[in-house]
Amino acid sequence: MATFELYRRSAIGMCLTESLDEMVSSGTLSPELAIQVLMQFDKSMTDALETQVKSKVTIKGHLHTYRFCDNVWTFILQDATFKSDECHEQVKRVKIVACDSNLLTQ
Amino acid sequence: MATNVSSVYIQVVDDVISKVRDDFINYGAGETALNELQAIWEMKMMQSGAISGTIDRSSTQKNAAPITPVHDLNVPYEAPVEEYETPTAEMLFPPTPLQTPIQTPLPGLDSGMYNIPTGPSDYAPSPITDLRNSMDLKGGRPSPYTQPLSPWINQRPPLGVDVNVAYVEGREEADRGPPHQATTQDFFVNSSGKRKRNDYGHGNSGGYIPQQDGSGDMTIEFSLPQNVVNQVQKSSSIRHDQGTATSKMLFNKEGKPAPVLHQLDGTHDEYDDLFQLQGVATENYNTPGEHVELRAPTPAVGTPKPGKDEAGEDDEPPLNEDDDDDDDELDDDQEEEEPNTQHLVLALFDKVTRTKSRWKCTLKNGIMHLNNRDILFNKATGEFDF
Repeated sequence: MATFELYRRSAIGMCLTESLDEMVSSGTLSPELAIQVLMQFDKSMTDALETQVKSKVTIKGHLHTYRFCDNVWTFILQDATFKSDECHEQVKRVKIVACDSNLLTQ
Repeated sequence: MATNVSSVYIQVVDDVISKVRDDFINYGAGETALNELQAIWEMKMMQSGAISGTIDRSSTQKNAAPITPVHDLNVPYEAPVEEYETPTAEMLFPPTPLQTPIQTPLPGLDSGMYNIPTGPSDYAPSPITDLRNSMDLKGGRPSPYTQPLSPWINQRPPLGVDVNVAYVEGREEADRGPPHQATTQDFFVNSSGKRKRNDYGHGNSGGYIPQQDGSGDMTIEFSLPQNVVNQVQKSSSIRHDQGTATSKMLFNKEGKPAPVLHQLDGTHDEYDDLFQLQGVATENYNTPGEHVELRAPTPAVGTPKPGKDEAGEDDEPPLNEDDDDDDDELDDDQEEEEPNTQHLVLALFDKVTRTKSRWKCTLKNGIMHLNNRDILFNKATGEFDF
């Protein structure tokens, strides 16, 4: 089953990537094994987001840039507002990267 | 939902570790490496603030359970020492990995379904910005000009040009046709002010008056050939004895205006020179009297402007410094708005529609990093105006 490497760009994903990089550089780990770990991370992260998270967010803002390439939408918003039960954030500039959810089920 | 982001992350970590455990064992890397990976991973997350300081493992004791008895059997301090020592030792390497992951060193990563059209810049804003900053700092604007000036300055003192500023002024104009020299002189003065003093100190023959205020004496005169002629005549009459000597020296001086002019205060050399009659007092190091005499004839010249313009242009060389400044400002502005990493949302989309300039989209299972804070969502709806 193919995985979305999307979440590797998150904070948790970057920490994992850096840790794996250190270990591969020091020779403690083989690159192939590191790839396996990352792929497992993709799956685990997707499952966790699917099952453990139950929050809804609304996003409003000015669309500065939109791009759809290789089934990936990239939006750049300006003066955006994110609202949910837990949070109310406002940012001057935010990038949204979204992969096609239908591809996962294929 | 009260599901804490940290707890979700910790569950993900444990899930990943447990699932790859078999791979580690089968591959021969061993559980030690696996534990090390987990320790490093969690440490990095704590440092970056992704998870809170206290790791609540109550719901995932199954992974920890088999490990603890092992520790109990062995020397209790060995395991934690290993776990903590190696990470700390390896923490020395972080600077390099920060950049490498961006380049996806592991093969096959790019073959994933997720293509990032936005480019690699998103991965590591910090190193890139750091590079930018370092490169910008190396612009080195004023420094390069000082060095080339030095050889000229050194040559001047032996000439004993002090003979008279007036002489020098007059002669210089006559001898010097191109204004370039004048402009260059300004540079010399400014940058090598200190050296001039020293040189003068050595070659002080009484007439040497290190000028602290204006270096444009010579420059001004260049621009005014007519006046200079008069002045030369005057100066020659005044300094008959030194005339010949000074003339020679003046010739030599043409290329070395620096020693005469110690300008400590400003860029308006020409002004200083013009007003030198009274400005002599500013020269603390030398007998102002002589200077006054020397300068007497020069004040007659009232048209330093042409020379000044040229000098002014030279003072503002086309270094294009502003170009970099603008870039820096833009980068800094962006960095200020987006501390650490830029605000980012990673998610899956269900639908994206547009009506005229109104965009709507529905997202799922996303991680948001906003204002240095991580937020997870199951569903999201967006409305944007283009």
